[in-house]
Amino acid sequence: MTHVGSPAETHRRGPVRTVLVTVVSTLVAVVGLVALGGQAVRGTRTVDVQLAHRTVHDASVDDAFYACIDTQAHSLVRPGQTVTLGGTNLADVVTMIKGFGSWVTVADPASSADVVLTLHDGSAGPGTCLGTTVVATTHGPDGRTVVRVGTGAQVPGQGPPPAPPL
Amino acid sequence: MSTVVATVAGICALGAAGLLPVLATVGLRWYSVPLAPLAGAVAASLAATASLTFGGSLLDWLLGIAAAAAAGVCALLVVRPELGLRGGPPGPGRGALDRVAGIVGFLLVVMACAWSLRGLRTPTVGFDARSLWLMRPGWFLHGHTQLLVDMRTRDLVLTQSSYPPLLSASVAVAWKITGIHTARLGVTMVALLDACALAAAALAVVQVGRAAAARASRAWLPLAVGIAAAVLLVLVAAGVTEPFLTNGYADPLWSLAAVGAVAYGLQMRSDPSSRAAAVVLVLVAGMTKNEGFVTAVALVALVAARSIGMAGLRGARDRLVAPLVVAVCELAALAWWPVLMKAIHARGATSTFSASQDLAHRTDAVVHGFSPYLHVLVLAVPLALLGGLVLRDVRRRAEVGNDLWAWLALVTGLVAVASALVTGSGAIGPWLLSTAHRITEYPTLETWWIVGVWTVVAVAGLTGSGADDRSLRHAGEAAVVEEDGVGAVGLVGSSR
Repeated sequence: MTHVGSPAETHRRGPVRTVLVTVVSTLVAVVGLVALGGQAVRGTRTVDVQLAHRTVHDASVDDAFYACIDTQAHSLVRPGQTVTLGGTNLADVVTMIKGFGSWVTVADPASSADVVLTLHDGSAGPGTCLGTTVVATTHGPDGRTVVRVGTGAQVPGQGPPPAPPL
Repeated sequence: MSTVVATVAGICALGAAGLLPVLATVGLRWYSVPLAPLAGAVAASLAATASLTFGGSLLDWLLGIAAAAAAGVCALLVVRPELGLRGGPPGPGRGALDRVAGIVGFLLVVMACAWSLRGLRTPTVGFDARSLWLMRPGWFLHGHTQLLVDMRTRDLVLTQSSYPPLLSASVAVAWKITGIHTARLGVTMVALLDACALAAAALAVVQVGRAAAARASRAWLPLAVGIAAAVLLVLVAAGVTEPFLTNGYADPLWSLAAVGAVAYGLQMRSDPSSRAAAVVLVLVAGMTKNEGFVTAVALVALVAARSIGMAGLRGARDRLVAPLVVAVCELAALAWWPVLMKAIHARGATSTFSASQDLAHRTDAVVHGFSPYLHVLVLAVPLALLGGLVLRDVRRRAEVGNDLWAWLALVTGLVAVASALVTGSGAIGPWLLSTAHRITEYPTLETWWIVGVWTVVAVAGLTGSGADDRSLRHAGEAAVVEEDGVGAVGLVGSSR
């Protein structure tokens, strides 16, 4: 066992050592507090950016867009129906996951799905979410393919919504 | 029900689940307040894992786990009544001034945390938050069979869904008990958990000030600086972690929890209360994100090594067994989810490591990608060197752990994250651009905490000249114990 910093040794601390400790303590304390204070001010400014008009606007548009496609998807899928997210555009699949991935009942395998949901990205117009609409494809009892467009919400303007920070 | 009320209900539910275990293990301390919801979040994470493993609903499992924990606590108090809810050693200080400092420190840290969450006034939901963290809560409420489909089917492109479940499980609990299934509620829940982890980590610095003041001739100075440093660290951390602190991302939670775990497990005086706090925070970090998992495993090893120390290695059975048992239990809890992901062949559970990449190029890119976020090292390294060389006795008198422990924890976390980037198969440029600022949060915050602790220790050095023989004796004993601990992992100790 090492007897480092034993009482006897501590008692032997000379005046030079005491002065050194005082000087270094003062230096470390002052530098530390000034650095923490300066960085705290910077941190406060960083947080304030979240309250800037532009940030609020972008967040509101993003929120409205995903609420819109969520509502449209709800208008197309009945409780208990299984769903697959269709389409070949990866960005659209990610958008659908973000919009309504939490509540749809994903079919396994995909071919067994009651409803195939896709996004149709077009020009801005009534009934669209920044130009995007949710489209459901189902097969009727007679084998006929039925295509329906989501309803119940719209966001005027042209998408995509402003990209949130990654 | 408004989002605010729903958030309060969600946090209270988690707090209720975690309250008794925290009170029994950590004790009646101010830092137990933020730790209770975090312990509840750990219970929610275990409940989600159990639900996926065995079936049954998330809420049933949460109630079962919380009830089992409460029963265990009650049984322990019956068998060992001397432990009590006030069990363990007393707090660092003893006087009225110390108690006032505890209250004031707690209130100011809470106020600083609340002020730092003002970004919540903007309804931002981050990209990953919407596509993963706040989407999976719905899956956890689907039921076992559908949850298995959600986790496994290759038709969903989302490979990150195999990430640890704590954050999504906590949001799922709030959704379930309030009936409000919105991303907004998810964001506010995550932000409050972030604030709990931040408050816990900051209160550790207040505790350092209180411990230093207990042996200082002018006790008010370390107390005041401890509180000031804690409040400033909260504001610093908010700046480092925004916008992710208030947009539903998981990075701030694991980073802040890991920083807190280092503070309680490796920087503060090693006692049962601080070690229990470290356990809660380690579990939070490891159950939140993959980077947190790797860091948490390293922290488990470091905290156990410090607890065991040289005395444990030399055969002191009481110093060896308990830390090892705790560490094994922690590792088992942490490993349950990733092992389960492998077992069920979850999407994204397979390794993406690739040795065929240009490792030198990737390493260079990572170093350059990380460096803009780690400027604080330029300040912290000389400060710590100076403190380590000149203020060792002061640090021991303040009962602060050897600084090398914290630096080891920092380096381990940094290397873990950097290694994932270097050995990963994704294009390194875009990967760094989109993640470097988030995944360097832990080393950045840890460095600031090191600066904060040294600041408090240094102030104690200005007030320590009047220390009496009793405190010097105590310092000597603490030094021996601690040097043993450092020696246990073969570090260059501060022996002269």
